[in-house]
Amino acid sequence: MKLGESIRISWRAITGHKLRSGLTTLGVIIGVGAVIVFMVLGGGFEENLVEDFREDEAPVMQVVTQTEPEGGFGIRFVDAPIYTERDVERLSGLEGVDYVAPDGSISAAQLRYGDGQSAGGSVGTFSITATNPEAFQGDAWEIVQGSAFSSEDEAVVNEALVTLLGGDVGVGDEITVRFEDGREPTFTVSGVVDDETGGFTAPNIYVPVDPYYTLTIVGPDGTEQRAYGTLTVAAGSVTELEAVQDRVQAYFDEESDARQLTEDNQEIVVRTTEDFVDQVTDIIDQFALFLGGIAAISLVVGSIGIANIMIVSVTERTREIGIMKAVGARKRDIVQLFLVESVILGVIGAALGVVVGLGAGYLGVTYFGWPMAYPIKWILIAVAVGLGVGILSGLYPAWRAARVDPIEALRRE
Amino acid sequence: MSQSPPQPVVAARDLRRTYHLGEPVHALDGVSLELPKGSFTAVMGPSGSGKSTLMNLLGCLDTADEGTVEIRGQPVASLSDGERARIRGTEIGFIFQTFNLMPRLTAAENVALPLVFTNPEGVDRRERAERLLSRVGLGDRLDHAPSELSGGQRQRVAIARALANEPALVLADEPTGNLDTETGAEIMDIFAELNAAGRTILMVTHERHIAEHAERIVHLVDGETERVEQLDSAGRKDGSEGSTAAGTGAES
Ligand SMILES: Nc1ncnc2c1ncn2[C@@H]1O[C@H](COP(=O)(O)OP(=O)(O)OP(=O)(O)O)[C@@H](O)[C@H]1O
Ligand SMILES: [Mg+2]
Repeated sequence: MKLGESIRISWRAITGHKLRSGLTTLGVIIGVGAVIVFMVLGGGFEENLVEDFREDEAPVMQVVTQTEPEGGFGIRFVDAPIYTERDVERLSGLEGVDYVAPDGSISAAQLRYGDGQSAGGSVGTFSITATNPEAFQGDAWEIVQGSAFSSEDEAVVNEALVTLLGGDVGVGDEITVRFEDGREPTFTVSGVVDDETGGFTAPNIYVPVDPYYTLTIVGPDGTEQRAYGTLTVAAGSVTELEAVQDRVQAYFDEESDARQLTEDNQEIVVRTTEDFVDQVTDIIDQFALFLGGIAAISLVVGSIGIANIMIVSVTERTREIGIMKAVGARKRDIVQLFLVESVILGVIGAALGVVVGLGAGYLGVTYFGWPMAYPIKWILIAVAVGLGVGILSGLYPAWRAARVDPIEALRRE
Repeated sequence: MSQSPPQPVVAARDLRRTYHLGEPVHALDGVSLELPKGSFTAVMGPSGSGKSTLMNLLGCLDTADEGTVEIRGQPVASLSDGERARIRGTEIGFIFQTFNLMPRLTAAENVALPLVFTNPEGVDRRERAERLLSRVGLGDRLDHAPSELSGGQRQRVAIARALANEPALVLADEPTGNLDTETGAEIMDIFAELNAAGRTILMVTHERHIAEHAERIVHLVDGETERVEQLDSAGRKDGSEGSTAAGTGAES
């Protein structure tokens, strides 16, 4: 029996029971649809992130300390001040390094601006980072207004802070910050920076290291010096980035103060924006996969639905099976007919599931403002799964159909 | 047609078929039968005498417990399941009392169904279905579903289907059993035509006047051949006068 013929006959059987066939495929539609939705959302979120990073692709890397928490999994960042002033200086001298910007956080309590208005009654609604003016040189952060600070009376704020203050603060305005140690300097805003990286950025004020950053430690050489939690290192160009990254990593692994200041289970990692994006997308991928896996369970339900309806259909059509056998159908013809029928149900379910999933995913990413992602790989997998579900759930009913005794079947009223 | 035949279409020897449901039932208890090519044989007998059982054995739907069935010289017992299905498709055309059409297929599709499974080379299924349906007077009902046809029309579709693969043997189990007398007579006209065209036919019936269309009647009782009655052309009805000539011979 030709495949085309069995498709035609099976299709007739499927459309003969439209409601039943529709409900049968629903399980597969929901399963595949849910998997696709998660993949679209995951992909859209990821692309959104990557796009943000790509926009301001800069030859910049970050030096951070990370640790694997005991009994937990994943990695955790440590904000211990181990990167000393001496490290900063020596890094600056490395071949290919354009500048090194320390990244020291200062605890701040309160912020006043304009006519005595205040914000951030509690620490955490904004933060203060001590760094060098060089930090604003590269393409990583874009100064959208004004320029970097050039004296200790000036500060750069980010767009998130401007938003936090209701847009009232711009270049030339004065803000007064009360640090936790009691100092209360006033800064003139010299510039506004767009430091967004993937939409995470919190309101921040950038101030000069000198004289505000006061955290010091005793270095391995016995001298007391400033130390920072993270460093930003810029290479001269994107093409040099990888080589410089290796050099910086080698410096930290071999001769840095920081190496001697790390604890046993801590590790100094030099990562470029790309490394960071890779790491984040890995996590998103795993998360989407996890959710998709849960959604895939409903596929099992879907395939049980198909198997169930196929068994009913074999019982209902026993007489037809008898007729077909009487006019020359072999067992394998009958198997083929019923398998084709369940595969059609599975594949249609998967195809509709893909459509529904893409539709719902599109609504989702539009709502969040992410770009639409078409998870081609998962669409192909979904169709393959539909095929597999169809075959698996059709095997037993088809086998039962093939075993029908034509004499018994024809005797039935 | 009674000169020694070169090879019968069907030769059955000493067929036994016993059903075991508590007491063993000997549905067939040693029946032998030869159907020469082009012959038209009727089988009569009381209910439960084994007529349908015999048809199933000759039609390769069932296998005998004892005895042999040869179809065109080929013993059926040694064949595999698939090979017997193939023989059902190519050598045998079944016609049933209850028509047994596929409800979701049209008349033409029903007729073409055996061709779907046997898949002969170079046959235009639609064309052949149309030709066969025209031959049984249903050229204008090609795309009707069985539910849209009368009983007599359904049986004609079934006859056309039985002829689809140009089988060596047509087996009809009470083909007029569900039809009124007049429609039954029309169906018998078609049988007579087929037989005249050289088709070998074996037909089970309860009705004497239907059986009289055949050239001989095999009487079965309790799974055994009671007697074989030859009908000469005087006692035999032929298709053209079939429906009008009543009362030839008594009902048995
Ligand atoms: N599947 C079966 N299981 C048990 N007994 C059976 C089966 N099929 C037939 N029989 C028995 O075999 C005998 C012959 O049955 P068969 O159907 O051949 O009779 P028949 O001559 O066709 O009768 P009818 O004229 O009523 O159709 C009956 O006694 C019947 O009960
Ligand atoms: Mg019977």
